[in-house]
Amino acid sequence: MDADIEEIRGKFLNLDFDEKQFHVDPAVTTEYARLCGETADRFLNESHEDFQAPPTYVASLSGSRMLPENFPRFGIGMDAGKGIECLQPVRPGTTITGKTHLHDIYTKTGRSGRMIFVVTRIEFYDEAGNHLANSDSRMVMREKS
Amino acid sequence: MPINTLSDVEFGEDLPTFVPDTSLATGANFAKLVGWDGPRFTDHEAAKKEGLAGAMIPGILSQGYLIAMIHNWAPPAEIITVDTVFRAPVMADDAHTITGVVTDIDEDAGTVEIDLTVSNEKSETRVFGTATVRLPT
Repeated sequence: MDADIEEIRGKFLNLDFDEKQFHVDPAVTTEYARLCGETADRFLNESHEDFQAPPTYVASLSGSRMLPENFPRFGIGMDAGKGIECLQPVRPGTTITGKTHLHDIYTKTGRSGRMIFVVTRIEFYDEAGNHLANSDSRMVMREKS
Repeated sequence: MPINTLSDVEFGEDLPTFVPDTSLATGANFAKLVGWDGPRFTDHEAAKKEGLAGAMIPGILSQGYLIAMIHNWAPPAEIITVDTVFRAPVMADDAHTITGVVTDIDEDAGTVEIDLTVSNEKSETRVFGTATVRLPT
């Protein structure tokens, strides 16, 4: 691994740099599910015994900032993908807390030069502190030549 | 036939093709719902003024389509992970289809791995992803 990336990894990985609370509105989660094409009652019917937000709902929740303060700007960031890990259902009507850290930093080198990939992870917790889900956003920055 | 248990799943089987609602109205409503109501998601002409080919479907809506497809195939499936790569824009008002194939079955864990692809009418891949889901044993 490149020495500069190794140094940045040591300085920034796995350190929470943002915390934000989100109210999980049942009207929003049901409409979210409907627009995605879900038909299951557990996502659409508030009176269902296992009523829950659709699994990818947390991908729509953003922290106050995407990168930590003083993170180097290699170039313009572009969305390279999203990942979700579901640990427990997110219950509409509750408030959840999202804690953000950098989960990974790596590079790929192509014909046009080096590209830096940064994975920002938001970990979501319920009011009792139970870990509900992780939402990863992969950003790619093409290094300025 | 809907999949209800792990034993119903065959390695290599194709999921039923899913046709998502990629209309501008749905994309725009979704964008407004999640607070991303910029013109690139809500208005073809305004999106073109931003240099785009037209309005796009938000990436996380495409991700939601993938999961809805899995639930359509296997209603009791619990999503464990889904990883999605946005390879090219899903253009609003263009027809798209989603295909999926079972690439692994872990009988000990009760899980199935599925590769998923969103394609347009030219058979161009716009989004692809991999999901791991748990099914009753």
